[in-house]
Amino acid sequence: MNGTLRLSTVLWLAVIAVVGYGMFQVKYRVMQLEDQLGRVNRSIDADRDALRVLGAEWSYLNQPQRLDQLRQRYLTLVPVQRAQLGTLDQIPFRPGEQGIAPEAKPSRPQASPVALPGGASLASAPSGGTR
Amino acid sequence: MKPDFDPRENPCRPRHFKPAPCGPLPAEGPAKQTLETSRTRLVLLGALFCLAFAAIGLRLVDVTVLKDQGPRFARAHLRPHLDHARADILDRNGVKLATTLETPSLFANPKLVQGAAEAAAKLAAVLPGLDRQDLEAALSNKERSFVWIKRNLTPEQQFGVNRLGIPGLFFQTEQRRLYPQGSLTAHVVGFADVDNNGLQGVERGLDDELKTGDGPVTLSIDLRLQYILKEEVTRQIESFSAKGGMGMIADVETGEILAMVSLPDFDPNDRAAVDSDATFNRATLGTYEMGSVFKIFNTAMALDSHVTTLNGGYDASHPLQVGRFTIHDDHAKNRWLSVPEIFIYSSNIGSARMAVDAGIDRQRDFLGRLGLLRAPSLELPEIGEPHYPRDWRLVNTMTIAFGHGMSVSPLQMVTGVSAVVNGGILHRATLLRHPDGYRPEGVRVMSEQTSDDMRRLLRLVVEKGTGKFAAAPGYLVGGKTGTAEKVDGKGYAHKELLSSFVAAFPMNQPRYVIMVSIDEPHPNGHSAGEATGGWVAAPAVSRIVQRMAPIEGIPPVDEDSPEIRRSLVVQSAETPGRKFAAN
Repeated sequence: MNGTLRLSTVLWLAVIAVVGYGMFQVKYRVMQLEDQLGRVNRSIDADRDALRVLGAEWSYLNQPQRLDQLRQRYLTLVPVQRAQLGTLDQIPFRPGEQGIAPEAKPSRPQASPVALPGGASLASAPSGGTR
Repeated sequence: MKPDFDPRENPCRPRHFKPAPCGPLPAEGPAKQTLETSRTRLVLLGALFCLAFAAIGLRLVDVTVLKDQGPRFARAHLRPHLDHARADILDRNGVKLATTLETPSLFANPKLVQGAAEAAAKLAAVLPGLDRQDLEAALSNKERSFVWIKRNLTPEQQFGVNRLGIPGLFFQTEQRRLYPQGSLTAHVVGFADVDNNGLQGVERGLDDELKTGDGPVTLSIDLRLQYILKEEVTRQIESFSAKGGMGMIADVETGEILAMVSLPDFDPNDRAAVDSDATFNRATLGTYEMGSVFKIFNTAMALDSHVTTLNGGYDASHPLQVGRFTIHDDHAKNRWLSVPEIFIYSSNIGSARMAVDAGIDRQRDFLGRLGLLRAPSLELPEIGEPHYPRDWRLVNTMTIAFGHGMSVSPLQMVTGVSAVVNGGILHRATLLRHPDGYRPEGVRVMSEQTSDDMRRLLRLVVEKGTGKFAAAPGYLVGGKTGTAEKVDGKGYAHKELLSSFVAAFPMNQPRYVIMVSIDEPHPNGHSAGEATGGWVAAPAVSRIVQRMAPIEGIPPVDEDSPEIRRSLVVQSAETPGRKFAAN
């Protein structure tokens, strides 16, 4: 009977030791994590502050008036003029490329040969196919 | 029967202890009483402990199983942040117009400062604008323990001060409202005081929304257009040595105000230098007799109530006598004029006759529908009440026809003209950006036909009439000039003018309304002795259109293409078949 008593006591002591060790491990780990969390949060705060300051500075440096002055000093760019704007229809075709122009197609179905890459031409291609 | 308890059977009994043999329990008397009391106490105590343990047990289950409190501490370290400070104000493209920064302010405890002279010299080198002698005097005053050195340092300055490593210097963070765009949006954004209470502009008008700080407030203002507008209005003010001016650009489909300037303006970051004339918002708070631009409303009213048509006309051969007033024409033709002619030559006589034809009630009703008889609503506290005659008589109707005898703010003008050109729908003006593609519901104030006729007439003014300087090649500008004589005490001052131009473009399908007013312009060397709306304000509109169209992605068109001719042509009754729009 004395033997069993001692065995259970030893068992309990072991359990207590293990649990105690585990508890302290968890506690230290939590403290560590909390430290880390605090550091991360502080750096988030600092970054947010920096973002705000940088955002304000960005807006300040992008004042249209300032950009305009910089443009005048360093660039030869000027605002877009009406003459610089147009549509695709206003671009004339190169001489000899009028095959794609809608009004040119029906009037001249057999246009002069158009050079294709590789030396082939539109006019000679069908005859090559029938051979 | 075995007795309940025999002390001699107790195995834990010390060997030497031989208790006196117990007699039978006393049936009566104090001894039994004592035993009973002890027993009761024991049971009570036991019950109490049981309860306590049960409570602890329940609480344990509650804490560990039922309530998951794990992540609660995770936020504990975040300090109450600037995100809860006064919200930012952004333009429609997200550029910051107002923001709140935490800035460090530097103060010193002179009792802790050693070597005041050296410290002062070092500080003066790092912080420009501080006087070395003053600083030295402040730092060597050992009586005090708190002296402000400089408020609101920049981050670089703070770094510089820290690097000096002078003992006895400390920082205190303060919140500061900053306006990175300075005077460019001064009247729209306004400003807040040092305690972050809005005092003017959107800062005041949306004070509550900004204070609760639920994300930034996005305005309808487009900073690029704002810059263009300010530059062009400024140029006209300088060129005509004017007292001031204002400009506005609005979206006719949504009522959003894309740009609004009032000059002179001020720098909201430097409020010590602000005077009351500069803070006065001419675009919303100022109400003016607008002059001939009002003929837009007068003609629309006559057309919409079918009093006349584009083929109609009125006699403008001689000045109109009403009581002691005589109504003249500035660009007198001295003949019968068709309705389009009355509009493009800005005939006061013809307009007055048109209004008389329509009558007092129709006129008042129409102007009321356009919101010209009540203070408009906008996200600004600076809103001017319109002034109009309480006792609206025929003479008032005649003068109001050409924009005198009634004063409205430019904001009301722009809102009204937007409705005239957009197909007849009145939208509430707003300074807040609508979501993309959102088309607010408006109120129909005139027929689509009237709006269509008015577009043609407005285009004609720029092609043939008083507004030729507003033409911008390729961009179908239409508009109306206005030159009002300002009231000074007794009557009209002939030399003090308010010269305006109200325009819309592109005229075949208007998207923008632009208004420019120049206050008290004086003729300059290039203006042929004139300081009228057509000379002063119209050229600014032309340049604004040419600069803003590429930004807004509006392609130039061929003004002479048959399609556009057809959409904007006006058939005149005066010379049948002749087209006014033909060049």
